[in-house]
Amino acid sequence: MQWLDAIIQGVLLGGMYAQYALGMALMFGVMRIVNIAHGDVMILLSLIAVTLAGVVPVGNLGLILLVVPIAVALGWVLQKFILNKVVGADPLPSLIATFGLSIALQNLMLEIWSADTRSLPSSGIASESFNIGPIYVGLLPVIVLICAFCITAGLDGVLRFTRFGRGLRAAAADTEAAAMAGVNPKKIYATATAIAVGILGLAAVFAALRATVSPADGPAQLIYAFEAVIIGGMGSIWGAFVGAMVLGVAQAVGLRIDPGLGILFGHLVFLAVLAGRPQGLMARK
Amino acid sequence: MSEPILSTHALSGGYGDFQALFGVDMHIDPGEVIALIGANGAGKSTFLKSVFGMLPVAKQMVRFDGADVGGTPAHKMVRQGLAMVPEGRRLFAGMSVEDNMRVAIDNARLPEDQGQWTRDRLFDLFPILGEKRREMVENLSGGQQQMVAISRALLCQPRVLLCDEISLGLAPKVIREIYAVVPEISAAGTAIVLVEQDVSLAKSASNRLYCMLEGRITLSGASGEISRDEIATAYFGGSHAVA
Amino acid sequence: MSEKTTYMRVQRQTRSSRVAMTICVMVLVGLVTMPWWATSGNIRWAIELSCYIAVAQMWNLLAGYAGLVSVGQQAFIGVAGYTLFVLAQNFGVNPFLAVPLSIITPALLAVPTYLLLHRLDGPYFAIGTWVVAEAVRLATSNIDYVNAGAGLTLRVMTNYSQHEREVAFVILCAILLLVTVGGSYWLLRSRHGLALTAMRDNAVAAASQGVNVNRLRFVIFIAAAVGTGFAGSIYYMAQLRITPAAGFDPFWASMCIFIVMVGGIGAIEGAIIGALIYFCADRFFGEYGSAYMIVLGLMTLIIALYARGGVWGLLQKLGDHPWFPVRRKLIVEDKS
Repeated sequence: MQWLDAIIQGVLLGGMYAQYALGMALMFGVMRIVNIAHGDVMILLSLIAVTLAGVVPVGNLGLILLVVPIAVALGWVLQKFILNKVVGADPLPSLIATFGLSIALQNLMLEIWSADTRSLPSSGIASESFNIGPIYVGLLPVIVLICAFCITAGLDGVLRFTRFGRGLRAAAADTEAAAMAGVNPKKIYATATAIAVGILGLAAVFAALRATVSPADGPAQLIYAFEAVIIGGMGSIWGAFVGAMVLGVAQAVGLRIDPGLGILFGHLVFLAVLAGRPQGLMARK
Repeated sequence: MSEPILSTHALSGGYGDFQALFGVDMHIDPGEVIALIGANGAGKSTFLKSVFGMLPVAKQMVRFDGADVGGTPAHKMVRQGLAMVPEGRRLFAGMSVEDNMRVAIDNARLPEDQGQWTRDRLFDLFPILGEKRREMVENLSGGQQQMVAISRALLCQPRVLLCDEISLGLAPKVIREIYAVVPEISAAGTAIVLVEQDVSLAKSASNRLYCMLEGRITLSGASGEISRDEIATAYFGGSHAVA
Repeated sequence: MSEKTTYMRVQRQTRSSRVAMTICVMVLVGLVTMPWWATSGNIRWAIELSCYIAVAQMWNLLAGYAGLVSVGQQAFIGVAGYTLFVLAQNFGVNPFLAVPLSIITPALLAVPTYLLLHRLDGPYFAIGTWVVAEAVRLATSNIDYVNAGAGLTLRVMTNYSQHEREVAFVILCAILLLVTVGGSYWLLRSRHGLALTAMRDNAVAAASQGVNVNRLRFVIFIAAAVGTGFAGSIYYMAQLRITPAAGFDPFWASMCIFIVMVGGIGAIEGAIIGALIYFCADRFFGEYGSAYMIVLGLMTLIIALYARGGVWGLLQKLGDHPWFPVRRKLIVEDKS
């Protein structure tokens, strides 16, 4: 029963990781860019959410409606002023640029918000829970998981069936040929980044509701997102979701074995997948 | 006489420091088929890329439908009515035949129901594509992939179609099949620029012909009136003896 | 027929390189004699600077030539440091002899790391190295034999006098610089050098020219791990203390990236210039804490966007005066 509980808690934790991972899968899939500041951007949005909650009493749903547009705008700025300049065959410039951004962002947050951990006051549904048999389940993690599932399904549908999705898949396969078929790659990139960071905005509010955030937390979130994407299979949207579940379960099971081993277990499962199935669990090939 | 649909004026350019084109003048009328021949490295592909806005050129070097359009990005040229079948086909891997076509439809000059070309018409032209419309393009044969590439370009509803070496690497039977659609395309009023290495194929399929050598036009004229000797001289340069 | 004869010779040395070589020899002599003329504080600085140069040079070899961007070099620093502490403290090995022994573990760690990660694309490789470093850090924090999260202290160093320690340190630092900077120079001038330079410019083209890109990358990854570990052992021996949080601090990776990008990637000179800039900046502005780090981060960002050659790249635009010439220049002279 203890292990069943660990698995359930792990899946719920995976819901959070899936929200981090989806944006990364989308951006890597289309631009071959990994934004090292991915986690820091999420933490920045969390801290903005915490500050906003103290200023405007809009409730959790209202907060999401405020933060997601901010996130989309942030994504647009990121794309326009940084990523557009470094997208290309050579991965080094994008890596270094976003790495520099990550260091700058972390320390900027430290200046503004200090090193304290913060969180959103959990009230209403956020603090409720229920029992499945003997297992205690929080309502908020379930909502997070359901949201993650819906976003994954929605994103997958957008990629399959919409004009934007076809353009994105075409640009990801061959940017130049896509331009020859009338696709504007820059517009596709900008939309993809806006969506990716927009999802992070949602994740940011949930992260601040579920647990605490502090300026130095970004790199860990980046690593979890990355591990989920690789475990699931690069560039696959459902892969990122499944990878996040696997990572969450691995961490929760590790935590049950020894409180010091949770995150390490996640890393070990990631390395094991890399050794045994480097193309990821959900890859077609 | 009406103005050509597409023309270049002293078009020069290349890749970075490397100049590959030296003052190329060329023009094509609506519904006309011209062939552009030349050896490897003569500058044919560079010419197409320069016209299509994929290499930097000055604005007045390319005229399309009465406007200077040199250097306009490729995706905007598609809206104006230019389309290309790129060398090596360059289909979107991981996408079905129909999705490859729909990318072009999504961004075409005209909506599918108002343009000359529809998926149904192309499936009539290339019945095999109709059968394989849900198949991933990477699972198709080379000839079938070339058909998808041509369909994708036509679904942009172009007024000028640029074809870069569409016979390359295909069996003679497949080449005949693909070239058989050229008259049908030009009958619809679409002008076609055929870049070819196969001289006799280029000659028979076109109204006029240009020959390129080292980034310059060395010969041009009506395809039926140019002799093989003239072509050989223009193709390899004057100093080469050709059997 | 003219009476002229054309002489051709290959020139590798330049005047600037002879000057630079002389300065290098002087610096090394100065470094080794430091215990007899410098203060302990200055020696500590020299040790620190030597470690920065070495670690950055190794990262430069990885990212600048082999195209392997790693943000997990701290794994090798920490592992080597811990090996040194365990050998000296738990096994009673002479700590100065333990330094060369401690580079074995980074090599042993580098082999499986590379074999696991080389399948990943550029940016994913980078984060992969980070995961490995984090995994090693967390594992170390859970091993009671090395005192888990609390870390180790090198008490055996009290067996040696201050002077003895300083002499040993400066000699180790001189060897470290010779191995990392000198070794890189030697490697780039050897027949592998051309292959490495070709790889830096275009890995696919290099492979088509018969360069075994994968094998060369593997060798460079191991060599860089060894060089980085060597610097790590010296650094933490000088600190007398190591903890998982310090030894495996991702800040090491940030420092490498900053030094090499600011100094100039893909050039030995760049890593040295960058290390000097970072060392000075740290002395003068380190007290500003996070504001200083914001500037470092933004500088890295701006260099990646607008000046990929860094300071050395800008200097080279003013005139070609290499300190460590790795190119061969064909000199043609007409003599009658």
